[in-house]
Amino acid sequence: MSQPSPGLDDRATSGTPRWVKVFGIIALVVVVLLIILQLTGVAGDHSPGRHNLSSSHMSTVGITRFGQQTP
Amino acid sequence: MTLSPHLRKLALTVHVATSVGWLGAVAGFLAIGVVGLTHHDAQTVRGVYLVMEQAAWFILVPLACASLLTGFVQALGTPWGLFQHYWVLFKLLINVLSTIVLLAYMDTFRFMAAVAADPRVDLSDVRNASPVLHAGFAILSLLVATVLSVYKPRGLTPYGQRRQYARRARRA
Repeated sequence: MSQPSPGLDDRATSGTPRWVKVFGIIALVVVVLLIILQLTGVAGDHSPGRHNLSSSHMSTVGITRFGQQTP
Repeated sequence: MTLSPHLRKLALTVHVATSVGWLGAVAGFLAIGVVGLTHHDAQTVRGVYLVMEQAAWFILVPLACASLLTGFVQALGTPWGLFQHYWVLFKLLINVLSTIVLLAYMDTFRFMAAVAADPRVDLSDVRNASPVLHAGFAILSLLVATVLSVYKPRGLTPYGQRRQYARRARRA
């Protein structure tokens, strides 16, 4: 970003470059995969502690979902 | 608004330092995340998740915010602009999304630290693959941003093309 180059503008032709399309497709695939993982429950509920203890276990050891100790 | 060459160089230095520093810090998190998953010593494993929360607040969050802010300065203070070139736009999206995910993840850091601090929680429940997965994904994203910064692949957005035509029309 530090070297503004007017020559670069001249090289940039109209239309969407191929690398942008490839990036867009990859980004779309990643987003769709994340949504599928979320919907199928593979990724959990994506809230704090989702990769960890079950709620019953947390209450057993006196920990709430947001990390506060219960008496 | 265009920065003077001296200011531009200073802003670039800060942007590169914070952005690459962020990437390095995430790599450090990946390393200690692996230690948390694999180490046999209970104190070490608990220590990993306790230190992660503090380290994230003191290192990751400031570097992420600084990288984002200095990126804005670089884009708006030079003729590159923020929305004119695809590579700048992609970097902006990566930076903004990574910062949002990091800030949202701070609750998880807090939760993991609380679990690790409780001696009644079994060590197998303290271990958590989440930081490794998130750090791995973050490293990939930040590496893409770094590559874009270095290679600056050509390509004007429709907005950038309109700006370019307008500039040429003014010159003609």
